[in-house]
Amino acid sequence: MSDRLTHAEWSDAVEDGDLLGQECPDCGKVQGTPKAACPDCGSRGLETVELPSEGTVYTETTIHVPPAPIEERGYQVVVVQLGDARVMGRLTDGEVDIGDSVSVSGFVEDHEGYVAPTFAAE
Amino acid sequence: MARAAVVGAGMTKFGVHDTPLQELFGRAALDAFDDAGITPDDVDAFYFGNAMGGQTENDTHLGPKLASHVGMAGIPVQRYEDACATSSNAFKNAVEAVEAGVHDVALVGGVERCTPETGKDTPEMTRIFASASHRQYEQPTGLTFPGVFALFTQRHMHEHGTTEEQLAHVAVKNHGNGSLNPNAHFGKQTTVEEALDAPKIADPFRLMDCCPFSDGASAVVIVSDDYADSFDAPVDVSGIGHATDVVPIGDKDQPHVTQAARDAAAQAYEQADTTADAMDFAEVHDCFTGAEILASEALGLVAEGEGGPAAAEGRTARDGDIPINPSGGLKAKGHPIGATGTAQIVELTEHLRGDAGERQLDGVEQGVAHNLGGDAATTVVTVMEARQ
Ligand SMILES: [Zn+2]
Repeated sequence: MSDRLTHAEWSDAVEDGDLLGQECPDCGKVQGTPKAACPDCGSRGLETVELPSEGTVYTETTIHVPPAPIEERGYQVVVVQLGDARVMGRLTDGEVDIGDSVSVSGFVEDHEGYVAPTFAAE
Repeated sequence: MARAAVVGAGMTKFGVHDTPLQELFGRAALDAFDDAGITPDDVDAFYFGNAMGGQTENDTHLGPKLASHVGMAGIPVQRYEDACATSSNAFKNAVEAVEAGVHDVALVGGVERCTPETGKDTPEMTRIFASASHRQYEQPTGLTFPGVFALFTQRHMHEHGTTEEQLAHVAVKNHGNGSLNPNAHFGKQTTVEEALDAPKIADPFRLMDCCPFSDGASAVVIVSDDYADSFDAPVDVSGIGHATDVVPIGDKDQPHVTQAARDAAAQAYEQADTTADAMDFAEVHDCFTGAEILASEALGLVAEGEGGPAAAEGRTARDGDIPINPSGGLKAKGHPIGATGTAQIVELTEHLRGDAGERQLDGVEQGVAHNLGGDAATTVVTVMEARQ
């Protein structure tokens, strides 16, 4: 039995305010979303790691024209550098630029129950 | 030796079409047959691209339906679906099959309808386009397709100082080029001021930084290298590269460098025994202005970080040292997803034959096409040259 991180476990952790990633014991890559093998070297020995809850904004954009069925406008989507990994999420309030410090603030859930972490400016 | 040669090309006007997919595709395919001087009986196989017909029109098993409509029932048909790189992936596979001797003659093309003619409004089409991003790790944030390229472009601006005004220059150039192209969705020129004044879509992109939702079809006839000389004006396919990058964006090493484009370009140039410096012009995937800047650097057409200044200084204009998107690009010509890749091949073919009408570039002998899909995770790069 593999204990490799699954989407369900990753999502449950997000709902608890924790971000889980995977570290490759062979090449050292750390990623913010679960896979069955390391995308860089194919190793299946990925270890689940807890990512830091504070990091810096790697890139960001503000969505003014949302996809259906979202009606809110002007929300910010961020890719956050958390230690050696990066994770995409939504900013809950305020406005951030690349390089700004943020921390995990909760999660959003879409119309089909898929979750993403949210971040708040430090 | 060429991998294959294009001997016939056709496309519809890109824009709004109140026409079923088979009729829209039929126009491009019959034009490609006529241009090649062949009949459907001469075609050994059909490589076809459509990305979203299932979601937009409840229409999925399109291959045999389209083959029947254009007189090719009975031959093998395969459909490709690879986000915005759909028909260039079909093209790559057709070239490989022809090169391997599986077929002498193949039809390659794509069709798509993305305008409200499908019955889908903007928020719903925005959702369907966003389906090319990761369902579990990107879509729940509310990310849109403009948002994907906005994330890349913001980082590029941070790294290289690229400005919104430089992005606007890409839009102005491509609208200018599109005004010379009778098949372009937008035939109207614009200005930097107008572009910078447009409503915001996803920072740093405003309306004028984004390509339109378009309907359209494109098709080319390709033949083996040996067979090409029996046709008028064959144009050689000398190299095709195809690469992918890690998905989702958060797990890419450097999202803004669009690594798949770099890998695909290196393969294509190597196969063609050429270099970026030898390219006389390029058709690149400018779904957003920032995407053209990233592509110009990834293809080696301008130096790292110089994509923005190159556009602002006119180096990528029709009379610049490396003209990019003489067709108007996705930005002005339009972007019917599954038709986009082979439409780039149509544009290269016409320029290399000296047959591009009012928008013809002077003395071009070698050109490159760049078509990407998804969150820049797929890229196909094609090098073509005039047959000597
Ligand atoms: Zn590894």
